[in-house]
Amino acid sequence: MFRKIGVVGIGTMGRSISKMLALKGLDVLLVEKSQKALDNAIQLLEAGLDRQMERWAITLAEKKLILSRIHRMNTIQDLADCDLVIETASEDLDVKKHLFKELDQVLPVQAVLASNTSTLSLTELAGVTQHPERVIGMHFVYPASRIDVVEIIRGLETSDDTFERTKAFIDKVLDKKSIMVYESPGYVTTRLICLLINEALHLLGEGVASAEDIDSAMRVGYQFEHGPLEMADRFGLDSVLAALERMFREYGELKYRPSIQLKKKVRAGHLGVKTGNGFFQYNKDGERLT
Amino acid sequence: MNILVINSGSSSLKYELYDMKDESVLASGHVERIGMETSIVSQEARGKPDAREVSEILDHTAAVRKVLELLTHDEFGVLTAISDIEAVGHRVVHGGESFSESVLVNADVKKKIRDLFDLAPLHNPAHMAGILAVEANMPDVPQAVVFDTAFHQTMPPTSYMYAIPQVLYRKHKIRRYGFHGTSVDFVSRGAAELLGRPLEELKLIVCHIGNGASCTAVLHGKSHDTSMGLTPLEGLMMGTRSGDLDPAVVPYTINKEDLTLSEVNSMLNKHSGLLAVSGLSSDMREIIQAMQDGDEKAKLAFDMYTYRIRKYIGAYAAAMNGLDAVVFTAGVGENSDIVRASVCEGLTFLGIRLDEARNAVRSQEARAITTDDSKVAVLVVPTNEELLIARDTFQLVRQAAKLQPAGGIRKGWIE
Repeated sequence: MFRKIGVVGIGTMGRSISKMLALKGLDVLLVEKSQKALDNAIQLLEAGLDRQMERWAITLAEKKLILSRIHRMNTIQDLADCDLVIETASEDLDVKKHLFKELDQVLPVQAVLASNTSTLSLTELAGVTQHPERVIGMHFVYPASRIDVVEIIRGLETSDDTFERTKAFIDKVLDKKSIMVYESPGYVTTRLICLLINEALHLLGEGVASAEDIDSAMRVGYQFEHGPLEMADRFGLDSVLAALERMFREYGELKYRPSIQLKKKVRAGHLGVKTGNGFFQYNKDGERLT
Repeated sequence: MNILVINSGSSSLKYELYDMKDESVLASGHVERIGMETSIVSQEARGKPDAREVSEILDHTAAVRKVLELLTHDEFGVLTAISDIEAVGHRVVHGGESFSESVLVNADVKKKIRDLFDLAPLHNPAHMAGILAVEANMPDVPQAVVFDTAFHQTMPPTSYMYAIPQVLYRKHKIRRYGFHGTSVDFVSRGAAELLGRPLEELKLIVCHIGNGASCTAVLHGKSHDTSMGLTPLEGLMMGTRSGDLDPAVVPYTINKEDLTLSEVNSMLNKHSGLLAVSGLSSDMREIIQAMQDGDEKAKLAFDMYTYRIRKYIGAYAAAMNGLDAVVFTAGVGENSDIVRASVCEGLTFLGIRLDEARNAVRSQEARAITTDDSKVAVLVVPTNEELLIARDTFQLVRQAAKLQPAGGIRKGWIE
């Protein structure tokens, strides 16, 4: 079973996955070239843990233990003895291809190479490696420590062994529900939720209802923890836009065409929780201001 | 006969090796950080230098292998061969309704312990890992399991049922189980010995006050009621656990603070009790120190803590319609004369007369701390769960082997 796990990328998902793995008692090697950016990411992680402590989710001893399991690394070469690497870089095919090529050369042949991509082709990523059979998709939903579903994506050449080991790891070690999906942009989670968000944006654009009321309708009416617009703010509006554009390109269907409301917000740099404003306003702890 | 006692946690394993000829400990030690590259093993053995080693121990099987290596080590060990260990006894937290006494491990017992994983998700799987690890390393050695809940299986339904829809009991076995049973069993026998009266005619209240804390009404040698419930959260206020509270507090707090189930669980188990009220510490020694230095929150925490113990003693005296002795045991119960004095202060109506000088004595011995004319005795009886596990294991193995009972085994066990 995987014990030492590399995480590439220090964005929202990279941090969230690292924290979740450390919480489960696993050793995490978090990689980022720039030491400053890496230190900053650890600070953000620590601030997140402090907030969890305030909510009684963890104790001070547990916080220290979690942080002690996350090790800072500066190069891909530092991952040479990992059993599993989860790549969480931005959704850019060229960036990911480059990373996969490098990871494939560094990692021992029995190690599994996973990507957290939600819209890019696993088969295409596997294509740049010498061992496409050990490449697999592990798509977590944010925040990874609270949401207990993971999509496992098989590329064309992913071996049964790689799949079985990954599934056992998610089900038994991470104690999450694994969903098996075949390669298809957006899989199940991203495809359904982005369409819902996009439709909510159309409603808003057409002036059918206010942002507040659209969210209330879904929250109260269908037991969503957050309504679709707040959800978009929490994912990051740029990420939602990128996912919709990718699906629009791949499927060629109009229903995936990103709403103009979304494009405007992203162009204005209003990206949601991470910039403090999107469809709603947020404080630096990510709590919504009413 | 040498018996190895194992308490296996999810990432740790504690052990004691007993020589049952005189019930002495030949060696004891623990493995920490199982599953990591830097696991730590340490051992103290009689007449041998202490051992401490950092190495990679990836699972419980490797941990047990390492323990056996140390026990038979030329320099640190006390055994010449692994075969000198004749049986292994394990502590298991939850025996549910399946186990009312200790048993030898077989396929059926293992299945039942597995079936109880849901009731003790943090403990039973780790105990099972320990059992399987011993099996892998010493396939021919008999193993016994001793349950924290078993002693309480004598409780009547009036004590163990919750007044909620009965379908929850039928479907999910939601009821009071109680914990610390091994300890309560051990110290109530010690109390009877000390009082010089048969256990079968005594009404005792055992206060196991350690990091976790519980009170048990022991009526004629059997558990009649106990303060811990489905989980160890119910009952007394503890270091970091809330103990009794209005169950409506839970959904109300979840709603007001937007908490998840795991957050509210963690709040009640790890962020409450002495720690929450004092804002300082979960350690009674630090609370007492702060209280003596004039800290008001520490005083409130201390007073709430002892008040609740007193309430349970009053309730259980009523439940048994009488009381012969209150018995204190475990870390705080054995060592804190201040806690004992504070609890007993308000119990004079029961006829308890504390002897201050006797209470102040620090000792490893079982002793009375009341005056000779006190109507109800208050005793301090040090607990030793490991020894009881070794004894139960020894008995079971001997019975199984149909050996003649050897004399003298129980002699001198109270010293």
